[in-house]
Amino acid sequence: MRKITFSEATREAMAEEMEKYPECFVMGEDIARQGGIFGQFKGLPDQFPGRVIDTPISETFIVGGGVGAALAGARPVVDMHFADFIGVAMDEVFNQMAKVRYMFGGQAKIPLVLRAPDGLAGGGAAQHSQSVESWFIHIPGIKVVAPSNPYDAKMVLKAAIESDDPVLYFENKVLYKESGEVPEKEDEVPYQIGKARVEREGKDVTIVSYSIGMKNARAAADQLAKDGIEAEVIDLITLSPWDKETVLNSVKKTHRLCLVSECVKQGGALAEVAAVVAEEALEYLDAPILRYGAPFTPIPFAPTLEKMYRVYPEDLVKGIKGVL
Amino acid sequence: MATELLMPKLGLTMTEGTIDEWKKKEGDAVRKGEILYSVATDKLTNDVEADADGVLLKILVAEGETVPCKTLVGWLGQPGEAVPDGAAPAAAAAPAAEAPAVGAAGAAASAAPAREAGAYVPATPYAKKLAREKGFDLAQVPATGYKGVIVAKDVLAFTPAAAAAAAPAVKASPLAAKVAADLGIDLSAVNAHGRVLAQDILAYLESTREKAEPAAADAREETKPMSGMRKAIARNMLASVQTSPTVTFNLGIDMSEMKRYREQLKAKEIKVSYTDLLVKFVSKALTEFPLLNCSVEDNKIIYKHYVNMGVAVALDNGLVVPNITDADKKSLTEISAEVKELAKLAREGKLPPEKLRGGTFTITNLGMYGIESFTPIINQPEVAILGVNTMEDKVVVRNGEMVIRPIMNLSLTADHRVVDGSVAAQFLQRVKSLMENPALMLA
Amino acid sequence: MPEPVTREQAKKFYETMCTIRCFEESVKRDFLNGEIPGFVHLYIGEEAIGTGICAALRDTDLIESTHRGHGHCVAKGADVNKMMAEIFGKKDGLCHGKGGSMHIADFSVGMLGANGVVGGGYNLATGAALANKMILKNDTVSVVFFGDGASNRGTFHEAANVAAAWKLPVIFVNEMNCWASTTPYRTTTAVEDISDRAKGYNMPGVIVDGQNVFEVYQAAVEAVARARRGEGPTFIEAKTYRIEGHFVGDPEHYRKKEETMEIFHRTDPLKLFKTQCPEGIEFSQEELDGILTAAREKIAKAKEYAVSCEYPDPSEFLTDVYAE
Repeated sequence: MRKITFSEATREAMAEEMEKYPECFVMGEDIARQGGIFGQFKGLPDQFPGRVIDTPISETFIVGGGVGAALAGARPVVDMHFADFIGVAMDEVFNQMAKVRYMFGGQAKIPLVLRAPDGLAGGGAAQHSQSVESWFIHIPGIKVVAPSNPYDAKMVLKAAIESDDPVLYFENKVLYKESGEVPEKEDEVPYQIGKARVEREGKDVTIVSYSIGMKNARAAADQLAKDGIEAEVIDLITLSPWDKETVLNSVKKTHRLCLVSECVKQGGALAEVAAVVAEEALEYLDAPILRYGAPFTPIPFAPTLEKMYRVYPEDLVKGIKGVL
Repeated sequence: MATELLMPKLGLTMTEGTIDEWKKKEGDAVRKGEILYSVATDKLTNDVEADADGVLLKILVAEGETVPCKTLVGWLGQPGEAVPDGAAPAAAAAPAAEAPAVGAAGAAASAAPAREAGAYVPATPYAKKLAREKGFDLAQVPATGYKGVIVAKDVLAFTPAAAAAAAPAVKASPLAAKVAADLGIDLSAVNAHGRVLAQDILAYLESTREKAEPAAADAREETKPMSGMRKAIARNMLASVQTSPTVTFNLGIDMSEMKRYREQLKAKEIKVSYTDLLVKFVSKALTEFPLLNCSVEDNKIIYKHYVNMGVAVALDNGLVVPNITDADKKSLTEISAEVKELAKLAREGKLPPEKLRGGTFTITNLGMYGIESFTPIINQPEVAILGVNTMEDKVVVRNGEMVIRPIMNLSLTADHRVVDGSVAAQFLQRVKSLMENPALMLA
Repeated sequence: MPEPVTREQAKKFYETMCTIRCFEESVKRDFLNGEIPGFVHLYIGEEAIGTGICAALRDTDLIESTHRGHGHCVAKGADVNKMMAEIFGKKDGLCHGKGGSMHIADFSVGMLGANGVVGGGYNLATGAALANKMILKNDTVSVVFFGDGASNRGTFHEAANVAAAWKLPVIFVNEMNCWASTTPYRTTTAVEDISDRAKGYNMPGVIVDGQNVFEVYQAAVEAVARARRGEGPTFIEAKTYRIEGHFVGDPEHYRKKEETMEIFHRTDPLKLFKTQCPEGIEFSQEELDGILTAAREKIAKAKEYAVSCEYPDPSEFLTDVYAE
């Protein structure tokens, strides 16, 4: 099968959807002339003249304008440059985008995608490295996705653009460069927002993650396998509304749960998974729930400190072995 | 091949049941069709029969314990047969090879767990679940998990026999051992400082007596466990008053027309009771007042487009409420026959469970005791119940003149969460007008 | 060149203003009687602005309204029965009882909703204008109403800049009613006329008498024509005065009631209408009184309708969070 990068996969998704929907367009900072700071928009401006728009540095307009465009009948994709900057447009996300459908009694639909590159990229420090997805799973009315590989990157972005609901699409900056198998268009299987995937089956422990956290999950599972421990690995893909059923079924089988993500552990997106498993499947747990994430501190600059901020597969292996 | 004995699921809504009584002891011979145990649900008590000849090998769930449906409660098999899954066989000819092996493993790990009596036993939720299902006492299970916690595999590896084999590690004087054996006392349960002496056994015996028969010295009182049905009634009545804010409405009905109507039927050899008539007339009224015929679940109102009329039947030791399904569509004679049949089955304890489920409204009649008014308690998840009182000749004023009329009070208790006063009142009004003008039934 | 106004149009202006006035008076009465939940903000005294602006718009043109939005909604042509039902929280309301006064919306007439967040509408209107002009390629115009309080939000800057830079068909209508909630405008803002700021964006800024429906209408006609010609946004500052408290029930300790009433008697657009009519258009007092009486009756019926409607069914509680 052909291999393309995560970044190329998102570009393919954009091109196919813009082809399909004449009302689909994309706007954000530095996306047309530069092609996006990670090259994820390269070539699109020539293919779709006038539909890839460089905006001023005006995040409230980028997001709020996207909501308005959706209200007018367009199918906008807006780019946040760095996920860290969503905070500038927080009102537009949680009071406008997330609410207009409900508070107007279903009159509005918001087929909007907000793309947000996130994660540690090496020296980005406190305001250009964050993973902020956890803020948004607390907001009814928006959907949150975070794919972990090129194929999902493409199919999840296509599903997000096709959705009539606002979707926050978190794409990890490190993953952009990574290659993976992506089938030709005719062999693609559409992604359904809200579905998790059991990526690897196992009977001893369930490891749940998403986005770049999946690298830790996969590596830990590989290491555990060498010692005869079979980890089941679940890629959540959609963080809200998330696939409870798949996770609960797995925990009922393995009786152990390990959660890992790059975001700050306290109040992290997977804390919700831990809470629901405790609520609905406590009697199936044969060990405390293990959680791995970033410490409760802003992201440091010095490479030595940034290294300490990260989670490593060995952390998971050690923790899991400790409760077997 | 030993047969599993399970907590039966006696109907759609049953999720758990209580072992009311074991009619056989471990080791007892059982004949096919004999009653093994009785199970109490919140509605009734049912007997479970043996489906083959054999021996009750093992009891896993003790009397009075409540477990989910389909939980393993015991084993039935042939004399000397081993019980699967590590549970101890009841017969003496135990498979000697297996028990010591497991026992040895357990001993190697942490032999007889040295836990203080009554101390909290740390175990994972899943280990607890398994132990509960297998009827194991977690305090007896050696722990090998993280931080000394009992984990699932400890429960799976555990056999009570292994624990029992390890138990005689309790030191006792020869006399104490003999006394204990004579009295059938488990030495490990006896609280002693160091070696157990005979006096410790006697002190223990005294203390258990106090616990078991707190009022034994006082002959003016007597303590008896509740029967399964009594427990069910107690639980249901308490749950009902805790669930529903109720209001009771009383209304007198002039029964002259009903009396006349009943006489006419009698003349044609059709015998119906006032209860039968009430079932018929109230069912009709319910079709016009769907709120009285609904149930409430999680802030939702479930409207029933049928009337299953419950009729309370008093028994010697309690009461049951079988219901007449689709009472609104049945003729008076059909209703009358069914009421008689249900009452008979109830008194014989043979009511099929489906007759005790799915009621939408209940009628309870205390008229035969001369009661003039009462406040019945709603049969959940219904939202109303109609109390029927005695019929009595009373002086009433009709067209400015005093006349004597047979008056019967109806006492309607309704759940104010859904039935407002005006609705309840209008419903009662409607029942009254139907019964005072039976011709309206045709309208 | 002023746009000629026919007698029929003038009559319609007066009818709309009377409908708004009666609507607001009815809402005030019913709110004080405890029949209306939440809180409501009234448009009394400012009727000429919404009326004059919306009269220059097509049904398909879009407006973004504010928390003081009943007048805009009536002027854009929403059904007053459905409006009143919404304000009463009934299922037959415009938003099926999920929005209420502060989130009243009627997409069928291009009223994209009152916004509970002050200054929340600029970006939405501008985004809609962007979509219409640049993506959907039609000549639909967007209007955003806002008060002097909202003019100090940063969102204004982002939207105004983009609208002017890309010559988007959006009209910024500032209802300069002198009060930002309880704070007098002058205590927080240095410019005398907010429309002075338009210069900074290179868009025309005009000042009109917000108590004169004809003057407002003329300014709107011009701005709409400019927008449709592709020449970009216009800033219209309509001078008015907030007669009612910030919300119904506001004790108004921050100002003197006599002063407010004096201003109202002097500037009431309903009273001034007769004298403001362009040359050649005359109305007898009887005719005007008749129009007011008819509006009062219409609103009385709307109230009756609202009261007769049911509250939303509990089953609707969870609907419309998402479109799919």
